[in-house]
Amino acid sequence: MSFSPILISLKTASLAILITFILGIFTAYIVVSIKSKGLKMVIDGILTMPLVLPPTVIGFMLLAIFGVNRPIGRLLLDFLGVKIVFSWTATVIAAIVISFPLMYRAARGAFEQVDETLIMAARTIGLNEWKIFWKIMMPLALPGVLSGGILSFARGLGEFGATAMIAGNIAGKTQTLPMAIYSEVAAGNMETARGYVWVVLTLSFFVVVSMNYFSVKRFDKSKSNASERLMEGEEWA
Amino acid sequence: MKRFLVSVLVIISVLMTATGCAQKANPSTEETTITLAAAASLKNCFEDALIPLFIEKNPEITVQATYDSSGKLQAQIEEGADVDVFFSAGMKQMSALIERGIVDEASVLELLDNEVVLIKGVGAENAVYSFESIGNAETIAIGDPESVPAGQYAREVLTALGLFDSNAEKFSLGTNVTEVLNWVAEGSADVGIVYATDAASTDKVEIVAKAPEGSVGSIIYPVGMVAQTNHEVASKAFLAFLASEDALKIFEAYGFVVNASK
Amino acid sequence: MGLMIDIKKQYKDFTLEVNFDNRGSRLGILGASGSGKSMLLKCLAGIITPDEGKIILNGRPLFDSVQGINVKPQKRKIGYLFQNYALFPHMTVAENIGIGLPKADKDQMAKILKIMDRFHLTALSEKYPRQISGGQQQRVALARCMILEPEILLLDEPFSALDDHLKDHLQKEVMDYLSDFNGDVVLVSHSRDEIYRMSDSLMVMEHGKSSFMGTTHEAFKSPKYKYVAKLTGCKNFSDLEDDGTFYFAKSWGLQYPKTQFLDVPKYLGIRAHDFIVHHELSEMPSNRFLRGKVLRTVEDIFELTFYIKPLHPSVSEDAEVVFKIAKSKWENRKIPDALILEIPLEHLIPLYA
Repeated sequence: MSFSPILISLKTASLAILITFILGIFTAYIVVSIKSKGLKMVIDGILTMPLVLPPTVIGFMLLAIFGVNRPIGRLLLDFLGVKIVFSWTATVIAAIVISFPLMYRAARGAFEQVDETLIMAARTIGLNEWKIFWKIMMPLALPGVLSGGILSFARGLGEFGATAMIAGNIAGKTQTLPMAIYSEVAAGNMETARGYVWVVLTLSFFVVVSMNYFSVKRFDKSKSNASERLMEGEEWA
Repeated sequence: MKRFLVSVLVIISVLMTATGCAQKANPSTEETTITLAAAASLKNCFEDALIPLFIEKNPEITVQATYDSSGKLQAQIEEGADVDVFFSAGMKQMSALIERGIVDEASVLELLDNEVVLIKGVGAENAVYSFESIGNAETIAIGDPESVPAGQYAREVLTALGLFDSNAEKFSLGTNVTEVLNWVAEGSADVGIVYATDAASTDKVEIVAKAPEGSVGSIIYPVGMVAQTNHEVASKAFLAFLASEDALKIFEAYGFVVNASK
Repeated sequence: MGLMIDIKKQYKDFTLEVNFDNRGSRLGILGASGSGKSMLLKCLAGIITPDEGKIILNGRPLFDSVQGINVKPQKRKIGYLFQNYALFPHMTVAENIGIGLPKADKDQMAKILKIMDRFHLTALSEKYPRQISGGQQQRVALARCMILEPEILLLDEPFSALDDHLKDHLQKEVMDYLSDFNGDVVLVSHSRDEIYRMSDSLMVMEHGKSSFMGTTHEAFKSPKYKYVAKLTGCKNFSDLEDDGTFYFAKSWGLQYPKTQFLDVPKYLGIRAHDFIVHHELSEMPSNRFLRGKVLRTVEDIFELTFYIKPLHPSVSEDAEVVFKIAKSKWENRKIPDALILEIPLEHLIPLYA
């Protein structure tokens, strides 16, 4: 059992989550501030699509963009000498596209959970929008955003269908963990496959536990700590 | 409300058992369905020509087909998949099944030969003009030698020419031949090694070279009947059809070579 | 200087139309839930933008649809005390108070300490909002507004969230804290008592429309309009019929000579507490005494409420009069079947619409 697929998957998922995290938060904040209900619904629908589409459909669409025989892919190749398909970058792109909706929805949900009057109050006391985002919105939305990030990471780790289409299956370069498992099973090497599967199981378990940890943390913070409340009327100095 | 739901459930269960029963009861004079598991490279000629022709001649038999890499199909059949006829792209998988008694040895016909070719995408700009110059490619698509017969053959050819190890880092391993073909057709991989029949199936790739004489053993496509089949009569009829003049002509049209030594 | 506002905003099934000119006093806005009071405050603060109109604070235009002015909430210098206080749950008391101060301010710490001292919050400075009581939270919210030295303070139902026994306390506290404040105060509430206690001028809102009423005490005493009388707690009304030289109060069966009134009222009102009850029949000039059957009574902690049907034959079937009396005055008598109520003329409220 070679460590190469594990390393590639981790590298891919790590870079993907970095980008998806920022992108997801950014777009979620923008969507939350949209006033028109109709526009909000449409944009949200588009951004959520990769979540419900089969990975092969997403692979197909990514190929239509980055394939060397397609307009944009051709452009990239001719003018920048860059070939996305069959490169490690393609694995990252596939992981980002697949995991983005999860991050976006988690961030959006977390932002919408924050009491609107807090934002209104923040404006009346003079905080500009940037400060409001960093000092009010983000700290309060953090638990939800983090669990979204973790889930996104795991999804990126498990990406298979789209990756095969645009990144190929090059051992040591684009062969991710899920693809390695598939190949080993197809080849009848059950022992090796089992090894990889254990790695995936362990990582996934760790992911789920971390997510639960953060959700509990959020619950605790919003509960008013009744035992620490002072009795009414005692404090009239 | 509760009673309504219960009646709906009862109706659904009755319908399901009824249809289930209908399928099990299988007198040989009524509609029979046989399941064919065939290598991916056979898909086009079966779906487009052979199966329709067979059904025309035998309207009481329906053919359900599944196509994938021979290795995967072998695994599925071993696990008990309900397959009647197996058409493999290599002897390895068929022999394995014969050895385990899963395929009836007597029924096996070594029907076809296929050739291994090096292809590139039409209009692709790379300096590969032969097997020997394959090193000029950045990425080479081949089937996974561990599980795809076409991949095994690719490895055989390249090893015979001393080109396998030196290019090991460039291989993108496909899980079946069609995937390999698509990679090259899309231009994602610079070149690829597939069967002549695959190359013939699309106009997006062109053949650069054929595998030199002696670099690869004969690629035999054997077909055989699964011993445990419930549809022996229909399956044997299908096998007979495949060996018939009409069928062989069709195979040739799709790029196969009829195995002269059959 | 004061606050001048004249705005209009159209919603699906509601139009907000507010218009007043308040010169430096405590303005109370009285209205039922859904009358648009909070919406008005949000327009003032800049959180909601009206469709048209203008808002001018101390001579400075905050909003002017004609001139295209719409100052951001951040720059309006308005202190807004939200109904739920809107304290930031992840910050301590001190942090909540200080977060609005500009970074460049060198005396930040000093200012925070000073205002915490003034509002008696020093001991709580490191606590989180969930660890302090409702009253304390309100003080923190107030401090957070005041530290920024706003030009006007908006209080949105400040006492609605609090327990009854605290309200008195807190109303007095808040009045104390506000006594140093030189700017205008706008207080919004559905509670008559709050408005009566804490504001000097009164504006009434109903279904999004505002009506300025003058001074609060006057408005409560002489409401002039039926809906205002209702809002200020009057429970008994009667239509008036023109009988030649008399007005006939149809709901009570009583008559009043027209000479009694300066102008032409449409209704009459009398507050439940203003009746005088008589326990013996005596010389009854009929136009002041109302005889009624007791339909039911409600006993509260300190007072009794009687629901009475006037016995006069020309009163309609469903007419009902509400009479309230302190238990101490009732002297523990038995509840009779019928009561005789006198309406003192000085408490009779003429209403013009």
